[in-house]
Amino acid sequence: MNKKLYVPHPGHFEGLEQLLGSSKDIYSIYMAGSPDYIGTGRVNLGHASLEEVAKHTQYCHSKGVKIEMVLNSSCMGGQQLTNEGYNLLHWYLANLEDIGVDTVVVADPYLVEMLDQQFNIPSVVSVLAFVDSPQKAEFYEQLGASSIVVDSNVNRHFDVLEAIRDAVDCELKLLVNEGCLYRCPFRYAHFNFFSHVNGPPPRPNVQDDYYYNKCLSLRIKDPSLIIKSPFIRPEDLEEYAHITDVFKIGGRSHLIHWILNCINAYSIESYDGNLMDLMDCPKDLIDVFNIPNKALDGAIQQWKRHSTVCHTCGYCQRLAEKITQTYNRMGTPDEKLEQWTTIMKKGIET
Amino acid sequence: MTLDNLKKTRAGLEESIRQLIGHAIMIVELDLFALPCGCSGYTANTRGLALDDLEVFEEHFLKQLKGSAQALEISSGFVFARIIPGTQEIAALNIRELCPRCYSDFAATSGKRPRPDIYIMHLEKRKH
Repeated sequence: MNKKLYVPHPGHFEGLEQLLGSSKDIYSIYMAGSPDYIGTGRVNLGHASLEEVAKHTQYCHSKGVKIEMVLNSSCMGGQQLTNEGYNLLHWYLANLEDIGVDTVVVADPYLVEMLDQQFNIPSVVSVLAFVDSPQKAEFYEQLGASSIVVDSNVNRHFDVLEAIRDAVDCELKLLVNEGCLYRCPFRYAHFNFFSHVNGPPPRPNVQDDYYYNKCLSLRIKDPSLIIKSPFIRPEDLEEYAHITDVFKIGGRSHLIHWILNCINAYSIESYDGNLMDLMDCPKDLIDVFNIPNKALDGAIQQWKRHSTVCHTCGYCQRLAEKITQTYNRMGTPDEKLEQWTTIMKKGIET
Repeated sequence: MTLDNLKKTRAGLEESIRQLIGHAIMIVELDLFALPCGCSGYTANTRGLALDDLEVFEEHFLKQLKGSAQALEISSGFVFARIIPGTQEIAALNIRELCPRCYSDFAATSGKRPRPDIYIMHLEKRKH
């Protein structure tokens, strides 16, 4: 299908050159700016200054590619409503406008309205605004949004997606490979945490990211949670053609090679490999599980008519037990793959 | 100690813990370390491992951890888990050869939880 791919850019210029030099399938890249002004809801490796943003913008435009700045902090601690906070944000957005970035992603409704009222940069409502209903979508459109990244929790709720499509005229984007837990209980707390860690000082100095560790633990114990995660497989993009033709690939904290692999998969709408290769988060699980992507062929038909009550449905659980393999003794000559269910059958060796 | 040995030890420890507790866990990183104070040892960063698992199978864990320390030619005088405070999440399993100062700090404490993030599995008392 004809589609527009929004592609992650880690933030360094060499990376951008490599991305745009290696793929012709990029409609727009997106990147974070400097966390000294406003944070983002994800790990931010680049910390691009305004001079660097200008250089990246010029380069993207010379290649016929758009550039989107991600300023989607889900929590700014109220600073945005202070005079100093307003002045700083206004100054930063004015600079981005002067530079000529194409779009700005924000999660706070206040910034959506500010962009609409005071700037000539189209605003994109972040996935971290959690737009999961036609009512919310209408609200943001009326506030001035030109595009909405729909809450990925409803990626498989076609009735909701269709209702949102009917309710608004603005562009809709679907985030295809976030890989987060379905209805993740950590979602708000984790993104608020990220927003402060990757935002203006003071930044919390923590040893362990509890939310990330817990997320990993849950899935290591129960890989059906990976299947239930509302990712969209490359092969299934066509199923969404009546909703949108704009798809966003997550992965700003990954290496360029990883990003290019994802772009290629979503561009050709096929991937013959481990599903975990495509998931933005959590990346550590690639060393535990092999879930052959092609073994999920046809699952979309079940998900399209699925019950949202997992414990009465059981489809993803059965599928996980059937297709999930675990790496054992990884990194040694004895490395092997075995069905993950066999681990549970071994019991205690004393 | 060779890098191959380190890789095998990581894989072996991960496998033995999986077999012990009956579900997958990950050792996302196995690091050898030496600190300025004189302590040295290894840290196995874990995911999917809970304090309950450790408490139930503590004896078996200790045996596995001491075995892995031996494979890496490390003394296993002090064995502990690092926990995310207030939770069941074990962030790391550690084997440490304590320097005299750190030994006196830990030896002077009583109980398994001298700090909210530490669960002591074994501390070999030294003769003065």
